[in-house]
Amino acid sequence: MSPEEGGGALRLEARGLRAGYGRTEALRGLDASILAGEIAAVLGENGSGKSTFLKVVARILPASAGEVRLDGEPLSSLPRRQTARRIAYVPQSLDLVFPIRALDLVLQGRAPHARGFAADGPGDRARAVAAMQACDVADLAMRDASALSGGETRRVFLARALAQEAEIWLLDEPTSGLDPRHRVEFLEVLARSHRERRFTVVLVTHEIDLAAELADRILLIRHGRALAEGAPNRVLTEENLKRAFDVRFDLASGRFSVIGPTPKLPYEA
Amino acid sequence: MSLPGTDARRYVWIAGGLLLAAAGLFGLAVGGVRLSWSDLFSGEGTPAETARLIVSLRAPRVTLAALVGAALALSGAAMQALLKNPLADPFLLGTSGGAAAGAALAALGGVSPLASPVAAFLGAIASSFGVATLARRGGRLDLQRLLLYGLIANAFFSAVLLGVFSVASSTAARTMLFWMMGSLADATFGRVAALFPYAALGAAILGLYAARLNLIAVGEENAAALGVDTERAKRVVFLAASMLTGAAVAFAGIIGFVGLLVPHAARAVVGNDQRRLLPLSAVGGAALLVTADALSRVAFAPAELPIGAVTAAVGAPLFAWMLLREP
Repeated sequence: MSPEEGGGALRLEARGLRAGYGRTEALRGLDASILAGEIAAVLGENGSGKSTFLKVVARILPASAGEVRLDGEPLSSLPRRQTARRIAYVPQSLDLVFPIRALDLVLQGRAPHARGFAADGPGDRARAVAAMQACDVADLAMRDASALSGGETRRVFLARALAQEAEIWLLDEPTSGLDPRHRVEFLEVLARSHRERRFTVVLVTHEIDLAAELADRILLIRHGRALAEGAPNRVLTEENLKRAFDVRFDLASGRFSVIGPTPKLPYEA
Repeated sequence: MSLPGTDARRYVWIAGGLLLAAAGLFGLAVGGVRLSWSDLFSGEGTPAETARLIVSLRAPRVTLAALVGAALALSGAAMQALLKNPLADPFLLGTSGGAAAGAALAALGGVSPLASPVAAFLGAIASSFGVATLARRGGRLDLQRLLLYGLIANAFFSAVLLGVFSVASSTAARTMLFWMMGSLADATFGRVAALFPYAALGAAILGLYAARLNLIAVGEENAAALGVDTERAKRVVFLAASMLTGAAVAFAGIIGFVGLLVPHAARAVVGNDQRRLLPLSAVGGAALLVTADALSRVAFAPAELPIGAVTAAVGAPLFAWMLLREP
């Protein structure tokens, strides 16, 4: 935690967090602090535990040890529905088997607020439609969500997070697989919503330049532990990136290069 | 796939109600003896008495068929949402195999035929528990494993059934065989009353969990992130669906395709919102089974087809056609 970055109070805090899938441990004692209202980018190589961290905070995955605190209270001590009202999770992709309208997907964001998770009262609908308008997906409302493009799906999920009226947004690789236009559009919607509502954003990404540009705080993870945490200019050093990704990174040019000998291709005798 | 609007929904319910009423009348009218409506309502003397007698004989059978059909279709719809698989079916998960094996073992052990529904029900629940326990990994109910262990359970229970058939007396084996193929022949209002609490309880539980099932049908992680205790929800729905299947098998034998076909058709009409899909599946399942039972009585009258043969003969080509239409 670095108080000089100022602003919000400590919103999310992970201490000695461990979690995994079966016998594979993805988080091995992660410590992290995220202040209210800031955008935190989680960086790390594949399998470093980035997405697992989001899933534990979203309460999709239980922690096997350690804890996450939300405004100082252990997450596991709070009712699930109560934390779902405050934390919105935007998945990387969606594997839909059954037909569902984009509007109904956005309405699901109202479920934690509704009795018995059944949210389609007039108030819920109004909020869902307004959120879809804000994210420029109102014209997709009646379309089957499984027929939407990757960019449209992600904006629909942003609309859902807005409709959920959550103050913490967890975004798992929000820009992966998007073409330049959809990427820019998505980031604009995100930046605008953040400016207007000042919610806390935790986003997992592989794009170092995006993290540097967007984030107030970088969390660099390696092997399920925090390698470095703080303001982008302090964390995104060549030394840190080398340790996190096992690559050489030239900050000035923004180029990566391989450390050591390049792997030989089969036709290179 | 087109998704219906609000206005269309009212007509769906009217159509569903009319369909069920028509199926009910058809079920009362047809059989070994043809029923004359004019005799029943306006006739006097012997023809009218005969007509009333026929109705009183067929009414429990039609009612039982409706209840069993509703239970099977509800169970199938819930399993499909739970497993996020439109091809999931209670029979696929070993529930029916467990029920059949339970009843067969009870019959072999000389238990009175009256107790065989209880044995079938216990077998269904035991199979569900076994499959769910085996599919549990690291404290979580893994749905892929659930399907695989369902398959394994069915293989095991067919071995048990074959074993029982081979050692049972020829008359007992014949009774069992007929029961395994599904039959509503010995329907009474007593049996209807015995099935009703199970069907009502199962339907009520699923109704309570319908909105959660909508979130689970999009994805378990989706539901968890929206505040659903997914492990608990999965357990509750799985047990309720198993109870519905077990009770249906107990009172009517193994009747396939209802749990698979009806929710599929209902989904094409009202979409996948479980709050509409579940009730429409129940109505559709009831109408389908009442019709199938009536057909089983008239197809080769005075001989009766096993109702399972009718649902499979009608259901298999229909299901193949539905799959062909899928993109």
